[in-house]
Amino acid sequence: MIQLSAVTKVYNAGKQNEFTALRNISMSIDPGRVTVLKGPSGSGKTTLLSIIGCMIRPTAGRVLVNGKEITSLPERFLTGTRRMTFGFVFQQFNLIKGLSVIENVMLPAFPCGDPYGTMKKRTLQILDILKIEDKAKSKIEWLSGGEAQRVSIARALMNDPEVIIADEPTAHLDTKLSEEFMDILGEMKSRGKTVLIASHDPIVYDCKIIDRVVEMRDGTITGSENRA
Amino acid sequence: MGWINKQRNILDFALNSLLRRKGKNSALFVVYTGIIFLVSSIIFSSESIKRESQILLENSPEVVVQRTIAGRHDLIPEQYIGQLKSIRGVQEVKGRLWGYYFEPGVQANYTFVVPDEFLYGPGYIVIGNGVSKTFLAGKGDILPFKTLDGSYTSLEVADILSPDSEIVSSDLILLSEYDFRKVTGMQKGFYTDMILKVRNTRELQAITDKIRRILPDTRPITRNEIMRTYEAIFDWRSGILLAVISGAAFAFIIFAWDKATGLSSEEKKEIGILKGIGWETSDVLFMKTWEGLIISLSAFFLGVFFAYIHIYFASAFLFMPVLKGWSVLYPEFRLVPFLDMFQITTIFFLTVAPYTVATIIPSWRAATIDPDSVMRL
Amino acid sequence: MLSRKSDFFIAFLVICLMLLLLMTVHAAFSVRHAMPNIQAKARMVRGLHLTDLSLFTDARYTRHPSMADLHTAFQDHPMSFEHFPSGAIVFPPSHIHSYGLDQ
Ligand SMILES: Nc1ncnc2c1ncn2[C@@H]1O[C@H](COP(=O)(O)OP(=O)(O)OP(=O)(O)O)[C@@H](O)[C@H]1O
Ligand SMILES: [Mg+2]
Repeated sequence: MIQLSAVTKVYNAGKQNEFTALRNISMSIDPGRVTVLKGPSGSGKTTLLSIIGCMIRPTAGRVLVNGKEITSLPERFLTGTRRMTFGFVFQQFNLIKGLSVIENVMLPAFPCGDPYGTMKKRTLQILDILKIEDKAKSKIEWLSGGEAQRVSIARALMNDPEVIIADEPTAHLDTKLSEEFMDILGEMKSRGKTVLIASHDPIVYDCKIIDRVVEMRDGTITGSENRA
Repeated sequence: MGWINKQRNILDFALNSLLRRKGKNSALFVVYTGIIFLVSSIIFSSESIKRESQILLENSPEVVVQRTIAGRHDLIPEQYIGQLKSIRGVQEVKGRLWGYYFEPGVQANYTFVVPDEFLYGPGYIVIGNGVSKTFLAGKGDILPFKTLDGSYTSLEVADILSPDSEIVSSDLILLSEYDFRKVTGMQKGFYTDMILKVRNTRELQAITDKIRRILPDTRPITRNEIMRTYEAIFDWRSGILLAVISGAAFAFIIFAWDKATGLSSEEKKEIGILKGIGWETSDVLFMKTWEGLIISLSAFFLGVFFAYIHIYFASAFLFMPVLKGWSVLYPEFRLVPFLDMFQITTIFFLTVAPYTVATIIPSWRAATIDPDSVMRL
Repeated sequence: MLSRKSDFFIAFLVICLMLLLLMTVHAAFSVRHAMPNIQAKARMVRGLHLTDLSLFTDARYTRHPSMADLHTAFQDHPMSFEHFPSGAIVFPPSHIHSYGLDQ
């Protein structure tokens, strides 16, 4: 469903601090599978996720999402594609303080312009799936780390994306919560979602739900292991 | 429909984000409302006085001829009547008798006016409501006036002018020619100034030119000039009032700019998150526009409403001390709300527009950050 | 019914707009109501040949600005502070500038 061919990303091109974060990466990601990007810090995992998730454009190469070339799309369409195709779980949760759980989860749907009732119903369903519906009205600041993590997954699911992208999702979680998180991802996988994770946490890449591990180093892919 | 839903969603978010920064935003809101209140109060009251003055002074003499000696207003001799009458196009010439009277007892300045025909005759006066209040004098009371030779003459209050007319009559003392000349010492054969009636207003220019030529020691003042004087005093689009208004507006723009440019790091982070989860740059700008509009529209409406109440229901009580100044005697009058859409739209564009722009522009930078920055927060 | 904050705000705006409308209606009625009184004052102005409003009685040139002679408004140094606050509001009449000085 996602194909990258010869993708290169150069930061600050032409300037003194020019840095090549990705070199000539070609890979494809199949639907319905869980893929882990594994590699040391600075190897380019976050950069690769950003490119796949339509957040930034590659300096060279092509990215196809569902057979559609996205690198040349204007910003609005790129954002639209991102919003409808990808759900993001960030390392720091990045929830908005002062808002309630339900308000946070709804945010990605705001630009879509669906009727409020529909939006709210879907939000409650998602909260139900993630078993935090009783926290719907709580403020973000009051949540425990595990609950916050669930809320951030709920937010990623809001627009019913095909792909869930998670960057170092377990970095701030203890072992128990990390395992719980992987269980939730397993649940998503069983619902047909494609999952893409960047992590160097063994709890993640040794987890049984993982189908494929891609190893990265210095902006290149150094190995790929299929488990399923 | 989708667009409306989206705007309402964004409006929701904007309201939430204002409520989250309650302290800062409510301080801003209060100051902003206060400024709009002040500006609107000025515009409302000055427009009211101006419009009313135009209607009233439409009825003032067509031409007043004033004699000046050594740069000062001086008495005009009776003989000038004939000379003025001889000018072609002049229909009627009358000498006016009026002057000031300072009453040391109450430390107030009054204006004597001798009507063409004073019904009550010598020994009586008709006083404006302001005179009645400061003198604590009612109908039938006898008031002493100090005459030029130092003696006192007593005049009986025959009537009090309607309090409704205070804007033109508050300090007036109407009296007979005889009493006027006795108190002020103005000699027979002289008048304070003269008024003309002309046959055709199109000849006005020619007539005033002629007056200046044949009576070089006089100065004609036309009704138009009288009206323009008041138009200028109460025209908030020029001069002092505009300076006050624009000063207030300017101070506020700086204030708002300062507030808006300093997007807190938390606000910037939020914008990053929104962009990360799929908001477009335009959505973020809409959100910021709404934030600006929520504050400025609310402040606009409240400021305008309070100003309206202040000026037309509460007798402009905040401005009164300024208008009163040092005068002991000040007219009390209800301003008439000559309100039109022009005033409202002026206030709107003077206040809402600059503020909203001042909040959006600085957000532009934050709104255009790359969405991937959220991955590195 | 009003479940969202935006509902409250929109309701608030609608109420404000209605109040604004009410305000203009009130203004129109007040003007109409005041007209007979203004007309009575206008008759007084005509009858007594008045030239000025009795707004500021503190000084000659503020009580009768339109009659102020060429120099009253500048009796003191032109840059001096006004003795009377009303002097800061009342301008010298424009015809002082247009004639007289250049004769
Ligand atoms: N905007 C940028 N400008 C310049 N260099 C950048 C920028 N973003 C990332 N880099 C560099 O690109 C390289 C890859 O960064 P990236 O965040 O993709 O690594 P990572 O594999 O996610 O590392 P970690 O495991 O620490 O998160 C790093 O050396 C980083 O310094
Ligand atoms: Mg990273």
